[in-house]
Amino acid sequence: MDGNIIRDGKMPPLWHYGHEEHDVISAKTFGFWLYMLSDALLFAGLFAAYAVLDHAMNMAGGPVEAQVVHPIAATWQTLAVLSSVFAYSLATVALKRGSRAGLIAGMAVAIVLGAVFIGLELADFASLVHTGATPDTSGFLSAFFVLIASHGLHMAFGLLWMLVMLVQVLRFGLSTAVVAQLLNLRLFWQFQASVWVCVYVFVYLKGTI
Amino acid sequence: MAAHHSDPVLHPEVQQASFTGYTVGFVMSLLLLLAALLLTEQHALPPLKLLGAISALAMVALFAQCFLFFGLNIALHNIWKSVSLVLTVPLFILTIGLTVWMFHQLADLTMLPGMQVMPGMPGMTMQPTLLQ
Amino acid sequence: MFVHVPGPWSPLFGRLTLDSIPYTNPIILFAFAFSVVAGLMIVVPVLYYRKVGYLFREWLTTVDHKKIGIMYILLGLVMMFRGFVDGMMIRTQQVMADGPKSLGYLGAAHGYLPPEHFDQIYSSHGTLMIIFAVTPILTGLGNIIVPLQIGARDMAFPMMNAVSLWLTAVGAMLVMASLFIGDFSTAGWVGLAPLTEVPFSPSVGVDYWLWAIQISSIGTTLNAINMIATIVGMRAPGMRWDRLPIFTWTTLSTNIIGLTSFPILGVALALLGADRYLGTHFFTAGMGGDLMLYTNLFWIWGHPEVYFLVLPAFGIISEVIPTFAEKPLFGYITMVAATFAIAGISWTVWLHHFFTMGAGPYVNTFFSVATMLVGIPTGVKVFNWLFTLYRGRLTFTAPMLWAVGALFLLLIGGLTGMMLAIPAVNYTVHNSVFVIAHFHCMVLLIAYSIFAATGYWFPKVFGFRLDERSGKMFFYTFSLGTAVLFIAMFALGFMGETRRLDYLYDTQWMPALVTEEIGIGIYTLSCYYFAKMLYVSIRDRAKNRVGADAWGTSRTLEWLTHSPVPFYNFAVTPQVNTRDELSWRYANNVAGVRPSRFEDFHMPNNTVVPLLIGILAFGFGFGLVWRIWWMAGFSLLAIIAVVIYRSFARDPGYIVSAETLAKLEGADEPLSIITETQHLAELGMITETRHLTEAEAH
Repeated sequence: MDGNIIRDGKMPPLWHYGHEEHDVISAKTFGFWLYMLSDALLFAGLFAAYAVLDHAMNMAGGPVEAQVVHPIAATWQTLAVLSSVFAYSLATVALKRGSRAGLIAGMAVAIVLGAVFIGLELADFASLVHTGATPDTSGFLSAFFVLIASHGLHMAFGLLWMLVMLVQVLRFGLSTAVVAQLLNLRLFWQFQASVWVCVYVFVYLKGTI
Repeated sequence: MAAHHSDPVLHPEVQQASFTGYTVGFVMSLLLLLAALLLTEQHALPPLKLLGAISALAMVALFAQCFLFFGLNIALHNIWKSVSLVLTVPLFILTIGLTVWMFHQLADLTMLPGMQVMPGMPGMTMQPTLLQ
Repeated sequence: MFVHVPGPWSPLFGRLTLDSIPYTNPIILFAFAFSVVAGLMIVVPVLYYRKVGYLFREWLTTVDHKKIGIMYILLGLVMMFRGFVDGMMIRTQQVMADGPKSLGYLGAAHGYLPPEHFDQIYSSHGTLMIIFAVTPILTGLGNIIVPLQIGARDMAFPMMNAVSLWLTAVGAMLVMASLFIGDFSTAGWVGLAPLTEVPFSPSVGVDYWLWAIQISSIGTTLNAINMIATIVGMRAPGMRWDRLPIFTWTTLSTNIIGLTSFPILGVALALLGADRYLGTHFFTAGMGGDLMLYTNLFWIWGHPEVYFLVLPAFGIISEVIPTFAEKPLFGYITMVAATFAIAGISWTVWLHHFFTMGAGPYVNTFFSVATMLVGIPTGVKVFNWLFTLYRGRLTFTAPMLWAVGALFLLLIGGLTGMMLAIPAVNYTVHNSVFVIAHFHCMVLLIAYSIFAATGYWFPKVFGFRLDERSGKMFFYTFSLGTAVLFIAMFALGFMGETRRLDYLYDTQWMPALVTEEIGIGIYTLSCYYFAKMLYVSIRDRAKNRVGADAWGTSRTLEWLTHSPVPFYNFAVTPQVNTRDELSWRYANNVAGVRPSRFEDFHMPNNTVVPLLIGILAFGFGFGLVWRIWWMAGFSLLAIIAVVIYRSFARDPGYIVSAETLAKLEGADEPLSIITETQHLAELGMITETRHLTEAEAH
C-alpha cells in the first residue's frame, strides 16, 4: 500500500482536467476482437463436436468420411476464400492511402470471390445431398454439415456486411465510424480465412487419411 | 467523440495495412495448405504421422496469419488484442484436447471389440449403438 | 428437412392452438391471476400518474449503465422470487408425496403435482435461478459499480449494453410465457439428452427452455465484451492495474469466462436445436448420435459458468469486509492471483459433473485432481478475508452480516465440493440430494453476496440506506431457513434420496422432509422481511439519507461522487493516486475537495433500437418455439434490417455544458436517478443541451 505519502510535501492532482482523448477506433476494434475470440470458441466447440462424432460408430451405416470429403474440390474453395480475404486486405491498403476508388475496387473483388466460395460450397452440399448424404443420415454427417455450414453462414454474413459498407463508403466517405467498421470487417474477413484453414485441414484433408 | 480533429485514415490500425505483409500471408497460407494437400494425396506418411504433419502445417499457417493478416504485435494499439488471444488459445486446446481425450478413453473402455464398424466397409447397414 | 412434430400445425399459428393454454390447471390459473395482479399493480399507477412517457424516455430507451443495471437487478429479483416459489412447490410436493399411503390431490397420485408438472417445476427452478436470477443481478451490479469504481462516465459501448439487457429480458419473458402458453421443459435445467430430443419431449417445453437460454446467453456474451472493453480501455487516469478495486478485478475475470464459455453453450444448444428442428443426429440415441457429447459441451460451459457466478460474489465480499473492518484488504495481489487462478482452473474441471460416464481412471483422476486444485486459490481467498477481519474495527451492518454469512456457506459448500471431487465418493453420492445440498450452499453464497451488495451499494444509487432493523431480520430468517433446510438435505443425501423425485418411497425420510419444509417456511418469512425492508427504507428515506460516502469508512472510488449518482457519474474525471483512493483522500483530508472548475462533456443519446431488437428477438424466439415460421423469419430479417438501419444513423449524442454542470453540482439536493431530465430542463438546470452536428462528431 502506498498509503499516506504525499510526494515532496505537494498534493498530487485529485481531478483530471482537460479533455480525455478516447481512441474511438481502437475501442471498437478491440470490442470486435473480443467478439471474434468468442466466435473462435464457438468454432472450437463445433470442432470438438466434429472430432467426437468423427468415429466409425457415428457413421450409423451411412457414408464414411472418405466418401464425403473431396480435398481437390475443396482446394478451389480454399483458393476462393484466401483470395477474397487477400482482396479485402488490399482494399484496406488502398484505405491507408486514402484512395476510395482502390478501396471500393478491392471490396468488389472480395465480394465476388466470397460469392464464388459460397457457390462452390452450395454446389458441394447439393451433390452430397444428391447422393443421399444428408445431415439427418448420421451423427457424423450432422456434424460435417453443421460445421461447414457455420463457416458458410459467417461468410454470407460477411458478404452482407461488405455490401452495407460499400454503400456507407459511397454515402459517408471515410468518416471515423465507417473506418472503424471497415477495420472490424477486415478482422472478421481474415478470421474466416483462419477458420477455413482449420476446416480444410481437419475436415477435408484429415478425412482422406 | 475524439478524432474531431484527426483524420481517421491516419489511425495506426489503418496505417498498419501492408501490401507486402498481406501478399506474404496470402502466398504462405496457400503454399502451406497445398503442401498439406500434397502430403495427404500422396499418403506420404503413415496416418498418425501424416495427421501430425498436416496439423503442424495448419498451425504454421494460423501463426503466420496472426502476424501477417491480423497484424498482432505488442504496439500500444494492438497489445490488448495480442494479450487476449494469448489468454484464449489455451482454452481452444483445453476444449478440443480434453474432449477428444475423454471420448477416446471412453470409446476404448465401452465399445465392444469386434462391433466397431470398419471404415469404408461397403454395404454397411447395421446401426451400431452402445446397446448392441 | 424440418422435423415433423406430432399434433396440429397451421401456417398462421404454428403449433399454437387454444388447447395450448392450460386453463384447466388450477395451480397455473392461480399463478396467472397472481401475475396479472402484480402486473396491474405496476401498470395502473404508471397510467394513473401519466408516467408512460417518462418510463419510455428515461428507462426503456436508456443507455445509462446505472439504469440498465437497476433494470437487470429488478429483472433478477422478480425471477428469483418466481424461482423461490418453484422451490417451495418442490419441497411441498416431496413432503406430501412420501410413502405409498400419501394422499393425492388435483389429479396427482401422490402429493398435488402430477409427474410432468413436477418435472417442469424443477426444470424452471434451476433455469430461473441460475440463468435469469443470479446472472442478471450480478451483471447488473457490475454494470452499476464497475464504471464508477474505475472513474468512467459510461460503458465502452452504451447502446450494446442496452441490447444485452433486453436480450436477457427476452429470455426471462420466454420462460414466463411458458407458464401460461404451452409448457416448460421436463428435462431439468441442464437438459438431459436424449430426453430433450423430439421423440421423448415432443411438446414445446424444451424449445422454450432452449431459446430462452440461447437468446439470453447472446446478451450475456455482448455484456462480457462490453465489460472487458470498459475495464481495459475506460479507466480514469492513474487507475493502474495494481490499483484496480477487487470487485472490478473479479468482474473482469468473470467476464473473460463469460466471453469464452457462453459460445460453447451456444454450440450445445444450437446442435440440440438442429436435432429438434432439422432432424440431425447429434445427441439422439442411435443413428450415430452421441448423447454424452451434449453433456460434455454443456458442462464445458456449465462449470466455468459456476465460477462466472461465484467470482463477482467473491469480489463483493472483498469490498464489503474491508469497509466494515476499517482495514485495507489483506493480500491484494494474492487475491487477484487467486481470482485468475480460479478462472483458469475452471476450464479444466468440467468432467466432474459426469465422472460416472466411465471415461476411465486416467480421465477421472485428471479432472478429480484439477477440481481439488480449485480449493487452493479459494483457500487463499478465505484466509485473506479472515486476516482482513482479524483485529479489524468491525461494524456488523446488514451487508457485513451477509458477507460473513457467505464465508460460512463457502466453507460448507467448498468442503462438500472437495468430497464430491473424489470419483470414488462421487460414484456413491452422485445424483443424490447430497449434490443438491452442496451446490445450493455455493449458489446461496452467491445469493448472500448479492444481498450484501444490494445493501452495500443501494445508497450509492438511490441516496439513502436500506433499513437496518428489517434488513437484519431478513438476514437472520434467511440464514435460519438455509440452515434448517440444507442440513436436512445433506442428511437425506446420505440416506440415499436421489434428486428430482416427485414421489418418495421411503417413509423413514419423513422427519427430514418435514424439517426441509419448515426451512422453506422460514424462507417465506424472510421474503416478508425483504418486502418490509424495502417498504420501510423507502418510507423513511429522508431519515436514512447519506452523503457521498454512505458508510463513512468506504475505500474505493465509487464513493467519491455524489449519492445518488448523477447521470454523468463524475463531474470531473478523478485522478487516481493510490490503491484505495478514497481511504487515501480521507487520510490526507482531501476527501471533501470538489473540482474547482467544470468542462463540457459529451453523452450518448437514448435510443429505441435496443428495445426494438429485444421485442423482435422475442418474436423470433416465440416463433421458433411454436414453429410459426413466418413470425420467426420476419423477426430475424427485421433484426438484421434494424441493425443495418442503425449503422446508417448518425447519432452524435449531446453536450452537457460546464454551466449546466456547475448548476447541477451546486444544487442542494444531488440529482436523483429517477429525476426526469425534462423536469430538470424546465427548472432551468440543464440550460444548454446542444446536439452535436455530424461534422463535429466525425
